[in-house]
Amino acid sequence: MKVRIALIIGKIIRFILVKLGRGGSLPGKIVLSLCPDILTRVTYPSTVIMVTGTNGKTTTSNMIYEVLQTKYTKVIANRRGDNLKEGVATLVMANTGWNLNIKADAMVIEIDELNVPKVLNEVKVTNFIVHNFFRDQLDRAGEMETIVSKIENAIKPYKNQLILNGDDPNVVRLGYQRENTYYYQVSENDQSTKVSNEASEGKFCFVCHTPLTYAYYQYSHIGEFTCSNCDFGTHEAFLSASNVDLARSQFTCENKHIHAPQDALFSIYNCMAVLSIAKLHDISFDVVNTVLEKFELNDGRMERFNIGRECLLNLVKNPTGANETMKYIQRDTADKDILIILNDNEQDGTDISWIWDANFELIVCDNVKHIICSGLRAYDMALRLKYSDYKGQIIVEESKEASVSCLKQLENNAYVIATYTALQPIRSILRRNEA
Amino acid sequence: MKLNILWMYHDVMDLYGDKGNIKVLEKRCIDRGIDITIDTCGMNETCTLSNYDILFIGGGADKEQALLYKDLLSRKQAIEEAIQGNTFILLICGGYQFFGTHYIDNKGNIIEGLGLFDYYTQSSASVGRCIGNIAIEADLDGTLVKVVGFENHGGQTYNVATPFGKVLSGHGNEYKSSYEGFYNGQILGTYMHGPLLPKNPEVADFIIKKGLSRKHDNVELDALEDGMEHKAKEVILTRLNVI
Repeated sequence: MKVRIALIIGKIIRFILVKLGRGGSLPGKIVLSLCPDILTRVTYPSTVIMVTGTNGKTTTSNMIYEVLQTKYTKVIANRRGDNLKEGVATLVMANTGWNLNIKADAMVIEIDELNVPKVLNEVKVTNFIVHNFFRDQLDRAGEMETIVSKIENAIKPYKNQLILNGDDPNVVRLGYQRENTYYYQVSENDQSTKVSNEASEGKFCFVCHTPLTYAYYQYSHIGEFTCSNCDFGTHEAFLSASNVDLARSQFTCENKHIHAPQDALFSIYNCMAVLSIAKLHDISFDVVNTVLEKFELNDGRMERFNIGRECLLNLVKNPTGANETMKYIQRDTADKDILIILNDNEQDGTDISWIWDANFELIVCDNVKHIICSGLRAYDMALRLKYSDYKGQIIVEESKEASVSCLKQLENNAYVIATYTALQPIRSILRRNEA
Repeated sequence: MKLNILWMYHDVMDLYGDKGNIKVLEKRCIDRGIDITIDTCGMNETCTLSNYDILFIGGGADKEQALLYKDLLSRKQAIEEAIQGNTFILLICGGYQFFGTHYIDNKGNIIEGLGLFDYYTQSSASVGRCIGNIAIEADLDGTLVKVVGFENHGGQTYNVATPFGKVLSGHGNEYKSSYEGFYNGQILGTYMHGPLLPKNPEVADFIIKKGLSRKHDNVELDALEDGMEHKAKEVILTRLNVI
């Protein structure tokens, strides 16, 4: 009875919040406080896909959601990025009927890395994707080793399909000597490098502590690695992307041409996770390709605005994400002006030292004419550039409004990089400034 | 003037942006026409530590720190020789802990340190992790300077005879403690990341001067334009309400 009462209360609160135009995971939080084991009390659909990783989990889960819709009548997902346990509880509560069955054929859950142990073994997950582990908010998440070992422990009782990025050693270790594990990989291409100078973790074999050797790096510590001393890194690919052509945003997988929504390597990895799910669920790659060709990215993922000239907005959360965004910007060889908004609220990470781990040297070059630094830690950003010997003009405008006005007055190709809590405010300011 | 710096374990101890400290030392020397060389020394690499004016070790992830621990112990004599030869040593977080007598991990195991100083560190399982912005008043050979940074450490360091500074806001050596770091005139150990030097140019210049003094007498440094540095520091001091 307790479960049903909790569900009714949750549904009423959600109804009111939706009427007020507010979403969020508050209803789930309340349901969990009334009935802490709610997630184990309901009956799940036969397909429950869970996605975690440092970068790309929202985009990947949304792509999977759209692909599953081509096969199943009703697919549900926490599409708005409510990726903590409370968000999952909200999703479950909203879709559970009086008989405690979840009314859906398939369910896609995006989950925050730290919440994996709280959710994985309560929800009947059938396919668990671990996409990547990068150095992230150290103040909130702790060191990467802590997160990986927590997930490693959470996975022990989990026997269903585990789908792993086979090019990330920190992810691959989760599947070491485990059955029912599937690896997706991306083969060497013109973006791959023989050496890497990007800050990364997992330089040593987790089995025998020997330094790992790489045939090539894709970005950060992602690449083809092996251990020279033991069998770590000898896993076989379930799916592999080849003929990667970033200029055309396409690649080949099992002889099918696939179009990636973004012309960046991380996007190819996102697609490979989606293709792995498709293959395991007998969905043809042609169908997947049709979905990917039409797929629209979320807010702040290469989002375009027109402020008198085109302006491209990107969210960054950690060094690897920032590096990939800057590499993307630098593929534009024309003169540029870049606005960087650095906040240090809880959701951004209160420790901004990550800007020194990120390779901002990527944008320290002659064709970047102005860099405007804004946000709560604008001056820290400015120092990062000053000490990288940036020769262009550094402009500090702590106010976001003023920073956009400043960018608008310049005339080179415009790019905006924002941390999490700066994203929505800067989107509305940019929209107000649209011509 | 010439200054040479040895950045130890640059490839492993590279967490929390500590490499920013090297960039700051480098640029502040170049801008003054000081001939600066920065060498690195990884695990198992041969290197004469006493040839250097400044040694630097940053912070690393716990697991990777544990891997280089043996290498560091094997260099104990070399470190002592460098100290005798007046090399200045800057240690952040893990490096700072290594120089003490021992470390007690969360299972109660005692891990022997270099034992160069009497302090020791205990894992914090019971009290909690010290995380957040921190401001201290540091005593740089008699000059009092406000220094800001970001601390993120589980280890609690006890028995520090000569701390780097007095905590104005934040935790310091122990959870909610009054003192931060270690400084004895030649070796500076601190939990302050951020990184430490960009927002604290006084500390950067102090270290450069200390390093130069090894081979040069009466070192005076030209003033640099530090408006942005002071603004960045002021943002944190204002927020912590210690201005």
